[in-house]
Amino acid sequence: MHKRESMRGDAGAGASAGPSFSITHEPSGLRIEAQGAWTVRQAARIDAALRAVSFPRPLPEGYRSVLDLSNLTRLDTAGAWLIHRTIEGWRRAGLRVSLTGVSENFAILLDEVARRGARELPPPERANPVVELLADAGRTVAGMGADLVALTGFLGAVTATFVRMLAQPWRFRAIAFMHHLEHTGLRAVPIVSLICLLIGAVIMQQGAVQLRPYGAEPFAVNLLGILTLREVGVLLTAIMVAGRSGSAFTAEIGSMKMREEIDAMRALGIDPLETLVLPRLLALIIALPLLTFLGDMMALLGGGLVALVYLDLDMVTYVERLHDAVTVDHFFVGMIKTPFAALIIALVGCREGLEVRGSAESLGLHVTSAVVKAIFLVIIVDAVFAMFLAAIGI
Amino acid sequence: MAGARDNAGAEPGRGGGGNGSLAHGREAIIRVRGLTKRFGRQTVFDGLDLDVWRGEILGVVGASGAGKSVLLRCIIGLEPVQAGTIEIFGTDTARLGHRQWMELETRWGVLFQDGALFGSLTVLQNVQVPMREHLDLPQAMMDELALLKLAMVGLEPDAAHKMPAQLSGGMRKRVGLARALALDPDIVFLDEPTSGLDPIGAAAFDRLIRNLQRTLGLTVYMVTHDLDSIFKVCDRVAVLAERHIVRAGKPEELQRHPGHPWVEAYFCGERAHGPVHGGAAPEGGGAERI
Repeated sequence: MHKRESMRGDAGAGASAGPSFSITHEPSGLRIEAQGAWTVRQAARIDAALRAVSFPRPLPEGYRSVLDLSNLTRLDTAGAWLIHRTIEGWRRAGLRVSLTGVSENFAILLDEVARRGARELPPPERANPVVELLADAGRTVAGMGADLVALTGFLGAVTATFVRMLAQPWRFRAIAFMHHLEHTGLRAVPIVSLICLLIGAVIMQQGAVQLRPYGAEPFAVNLLGILTLREVGVLLTAIMVAGRSGSAFTAEIGSMKMREEIDAMRALGIDPLETLVLPRLLALIIALPLLTFLGDMMALLGGGLVALVYLDLDMVTYVERLHDAVTVDHFFVGMIKTPFAALIIALVGCREGLEVRGSAESLGLHVTSAVVKAIFLVIIVDAVFAMFLAAIGI
Repeated sequence: MAGARDNAGAEPGRGGGGNGSLAHGREAIIRVRGLTKRFGRQTVFDGLDLDVWRGEILGVVGASGAGKSVLLRCIIGLEPVQAGTIEIFGTDTARLGHRQWMELETRWGVLFQDGALFGSLTVLQNVQVPMREHLDLPQAMMDELALLKLAMVGLEPDAAHKMPAQLSGGMRKRVGLARALALDPDIVFLDEPTSGLDPIGAAAFDRLIRNLQRTLGLTVYMVTHDLDSIFKVCDRVAVLAERHIVRAGKPEELQRHPGHPWVEAYFCGERAHGPVHGGAAPEGGGAERI
């Protein structure tokens, strides 16, 4: 009583050359003839078919299976691994298995696989998600504290370098300073101008629309003037510069760090704080107030353009109204904050750059965190100034 | 898939490629003819010819800047060429459509200089990338196969969950090799596999390449500087100089009959060693060319 069945890969793959094997069931055992190519491309199908092979249970006395490879045309490591694993599995189940028709080439592969394979994948280290969440929260809080300490330390180190440089002014890197002044200042002019112009226009338009029901439309000019000079101009410019230049500082210094350029500088006796950080910091401290002034003016101009339409004011009247509404105090309250914002953006950007470790991923993380931290700290400082100035009555 | 491949198809002259790529009874698995490559005004190759026989380990040597890596990148299609044909498995690669090209790419593996592992994936995932891209395998089987490949390049299972940044240079190269072998390719391209390894690590890597080539019946195209590697593992060496392959042959043969000043300087210079030395009178001015 011979029963013969054929397991043939059906989906796709040219059926004639397709991977397959045929099974002959005999009372004394079963004979599997491998045919065609057993390679990684067919591995999934062959694996499923091999797993489906069944034996009588319990195994009769003397029952054995023969795996015949003489009709196999191709075998690669995946195919060899399947053969090895299947045979091992059957042997563990108590079946006696023998391989026949193994050519020399196949034998090399089968030996290699038997020698190398059958190793357990260690489980990935996974902690309890709740514990992980709590630990993560804890780490983040502790990290913020450590960050603040480190940033303060960095401020101290940079200040010390600055003071040292004052004693030896010829060490100042004028070319680097000018380069960064151009890149952080001059090249930011178009985008800062455009954004501030638009925001100024929007504030004026919204102000006029919202105040109209109370007949207080003309006060939209006061609203715009005070808001712009005290807060909006400063914040908008600082945020844009943090995104534009703070991230650039981190990326530049970080990629130098990755290529060990910073270590090379230290080894050559060059202080990276002096050559890389100070020029950037000083350039930004000069550039940001200038950009803020420009931003203020553009916002007022944008408001003025809207006022022409919504309030029927001509430019001369608009400027006069503005003159009545704002005092020079408002302007200075805004401007006094800009060097601090510049200091924060440059310090955070440079420090994050120096914190970059080997991988490109770390560079990306630090660039992101430089921008986020710089914007966060700028807004905090702005709030502190607002409270302080309110307390002293300006 | 064109061209039947026997698992360990190292026997020369097996059918397959056909159409005139048989010479000296051996089958050229890669056949480059009249390759011209320019970067702007600088000509890197000018009518370069090269054959790689099935089942051999070919070492490609040349001075720094001679274009060894560029040639490799041209062959695997990363650099466009200005003229010439590149036939792989007997088909002209310039005529392949997108799908055929993808199909072809699954038949070779490339080990880049520093491994070029994906930094955001673990070692195991790196090895599985080609399987995931080109095949539809269950995850459990991909894990098994990836572990097997890692074992074949001599890595322990506990390296499987590490990130590339946690690995040493030698381990990164091994993982890169495991990834190159993930789909059981016919050809493996190695770009300076032993550079940056200590002599012991380099010797181990040489042995590994030799063993894998024998076991899996690979054809290996190896860009190298390393004289030790050349004598230990290469069946043949092709020397790239003056925009051409100036000499190709067994390393011992090139050492005995350099026939070109650079080859002479390379094989018979101060750092050269090896089994034979002598014959071939110096052709003068060789050493100064380096």
